[in-house]
Amino acid sequence: MDFELTEEQKARRKEYFDFCKELEKKRPASFVGLEAVFEVDECWQFHLDCAKEFAKKGWLALAWPPEYGGSGTMMDKVLFADARGYHGIPGVDIFGIGMLAPTVLQAASDEVKKEFLPPIARGEVMWCELWSEPNAGSDLATLSTTAIKKGDEYIINGQKTWNTGAHRADWGFGVFKTDPDARKHHNMTFILLDMKTPGVTVRPIPYIDGDAPFAEVYFDDVHVPAKNIVGQENEGWAVVNLLAGFERSGMGEIMSMFRELEEIVKYCNETKRNGKPLSKDPIVRNRVAQLACELEAARTIAYRIADLQNRNEMALMDASAAKIFYSELGQRFAFVATDLAGPFGQVKHSRWAAADGAWEKAFQECFVTIISMGTNEIQRNIISWYGLGLPRMK
Amino acid sequence: MDLRFSEAQEILRKMVRDFLATECPKTLVRELEQSEKGYSPELWKKMAELGWMGLVIPEEYEGMGYTFQDLTILLEEAGRNILPGPLLTTVISTFPILEAGTEEQKKEFLPKIALGELIITTAQLEADGTFDASGIAVKATAKGEDFIINGTKLFVEMAHVADYIICVTRTKEGATEKGITLFIVDAKTPGVKCEVIPTIAADKLCEVRFDNVAVPKKNMLGKLDEGWPLVETMMRKGAIAKSAESVGAMQTCVEMTVAYCKERVQYERPIGAFQALQHIMANMWTSMETSRYLLYEAAWMESEGQPCAKEASFAKAYTNEAYRDVSQWAIRLHGGIATSYDHDIPLYYRRSKAADTAFGSTDFHRELAAQQIGLK
Ligand SMILES: Cc1cc2nc3c(=O)[nH]c(=O)nc-3n(C[C@H](O)[C@H](O)[C@H](O)COP(=O)(O)OP(=O)(O)OC[C@H]3O[C@@H](n4cnc5c(N)ncnc54)[C@H](O)[C@@H]3O)c2cc1C
Repeated sequence: MDFELTEEQKARRKEYFDFCKELEKKRPASFVGLEAVFEVDECWQFHLDCAKEFAKKGWLALAWPPEYGGSGTMMDKVLFADARGYHGIPGVDIFGIGMLAPTVLQAASDEVKKEFLPPIARGEVMWCELWSEPNAGSDLATLSTTAIKKGDEYIINGQKTWNTGAHRADWGFGVFKTDPDARKHHNMTFILLDMKTPGVTVRPIPYIDGDAPFAEVYFDDVHVPAKNIVGQENEGWAVVNLLAGFERSGMGEIMSMFRELEEIVKYCNETKRNGKPLSKDPIVRNRVAQLACELEAARTIAYRIADLQNRNEMALMDASAAKIFYSELGQRFAFVATDLAGPFGQVKHSRWAAADGAWEKAFQECFVTIISMGTNEIQRNIISWYGLGLPRMK
Repeated sequence: MDLRFSEAQEILRKMVRDFLATECPKTLVRELEQSEKGYSPELWKKMAELGWMGLVIPEEYEGMGYTFQDLTILLEEAGRNILPGPLLTTVISTFPILEAGTEEQKKEFLPKIALGELIITTAQLEADGTFDASGIAVKATAKGEDFIINGTKLFVEMAHVADYIICVTRTKEGATEKGITLFIVDAKTPGVKCEVIPTIAADKLCEVRFDNVAVPKKNMLGKLDEGWPLVETMMRKGAIAKSAESVGAMQTCVEMTVAYCKERVQYERPIGAFQALQHIMANMWTSMETSRYLLYEAAWMESEGQPCAKEASFAKAYTNEAYRDVSQWAIRLHGGIATSYDHDIPLYYRRSKAADTAFGSTDFHRELAAQQIGLK
């Protein structure tokens, strides 16, 4: 057993950290929380600028095969996420790079690979995920938006919802019902579409804090070239599962909590309440230490996933456990931090805000990771059924 | 980075697992709880033949020369099966001898420990109940060629069967970390009196009274007044070792519970088909796995000689609560059957309290962690 990175990995990690540290200096002050890129114009611009910088370095195609401009290993990808998480730097499209690219590499035709991968690696095209519908959430297979083939096109009608960044994205990947008569799981196709196609209407949805990280998307006779699919026609469900199976260790989110922990410690050392620093209060010490402890647990399990992935081994159960753990830990971080800040914990990014409003934002944003990417209840189902082999009730 | 165990380590794990499965059934565990000794001398002998007490003792002292991480593998399996007796306390008590013992002390004690010929334990806690140096009040005063020890130690594991007791004493007035000295006390010295304290795990924690106990100066372990760092090392290694046992114990709780829930039928279906229970089991598994890698990291760092006070405290504080939580859920998911004394799960639940107390409670380790993360 060896928890240490190789000298080469350490050097790569340092390179990523140094680079992100410099970028952090240019980050707009309005950049608060996980979803700022989708919510604030200048933050989206910062995201695009960072993407260009990373593209120059070849870091948007880490762990891709060389014929598509790839370099580096899965571990490099994790270490890069480490650095971005810690310094709070966007620039890596979670949809295009995190989800679509590995799926396309594994399941799409050469033609699709050649057309769609290079612009992703160049940081030119940003993507969104068009899966959920008002009546199809966790039980996605019951979706009803149709894409009916006519000649060499699909014609899409219906509605998607909760689509993060759909109001910013250039392209979207989605699943649509292509054969309404076929049986469940063999009736949908995974389609790629330009968000500027006529008939697409995007309406931002305000999240609980009033900002808009996501949108609903309406389709009214939207024509899409039939070649823009991943996997086989009517077999989009397999692609959905493939994509969902690209285990994410959550390293970025975990490293952003490391930064948050540092901020909390600093705040406790510097903030006096009742005539003494918060850091002298045994209850405060206990609560913060507990967060630190749990954060280390999240980090080690994320490394375990990275280690498995690096050897091309599956980590389905661990990935579900990690997702549950880090997302709920994020919520505990938000609760403890806003508690420690007392009345200042509720103040939004402004003069009286604690931590520039980051904790208030976290208090409201904690549901993003808990609910999206498969709710934590669904993750617990996955552990129970596929991991522990418990019977699945029909 | 490679988070797999080596082939040799996997072999060690399997060897320990198989051995304990046949040699230490739960009938024996229960029997030992009721017995006076609390351990089986026959089993102890067999373990000695396998080299367990001397696992981390260098070969020159008849040990096996394995790493600390190897030891935690053994202890994880011990926790998984439950292994009553003085293995852990003996092994942890060898560390200060290895670290600070004179060559003469090493030659005198280590080979005998390695061969299973003597049981050694450490007496630290006192009536105050704290793991801090401030809790050490038992006095040792120089007199001629001896030191005279007076006072009462508590929760000394297996002291009633120990041949030697490392006694943590105060040799200078005060309540700080300065002025603490360790002595290796022959348990048969006149004035040493042991009494077993009844505990949840029936794990033979003793009250040890020292009444004008004369210990020769040559039995001082390390330097006069500077013994506290040795205690810290023992607590750190002990915390990791105990966490290993706890992770093993959680493994059994999870495995038994999942198996039972697949079997037990109520409302015409296996209870494991109820989602209310599935999610609890998913949580139990997650607690176990998060504990596991905290443990592995701390054990690896300790093994590599890296500073790991923070990681050891993280692991101990976290596994303390995880073990208690996982084992209480194990009882609840079994229902009434697991509330009977004869069921195996309660053996684990009861030990979660013992595991939590040994080498520092949750709050104690959180305070150490608080210092390590920079809270002033
Ligand atoms: C911030 C945010 C961003 C999102 N971004 C996107 C995006 O970019 N693209 C996209 O397509 N979608 C996105 N989503 C949608 C997200 O995938 C869904 O919200 C999620 O899958 C749950 O679906 P639902 O909202 O319809 O809830 P439901 O499925 O109706 O669930 C409601 C409750 O029931 C529970 N539940 C449902 N089924 C089960 C079951 N079998 N067992 C136990 N409990 C169950 C759920 O866990 C939840 O607690 C986003 C959501 C959020 C909150």
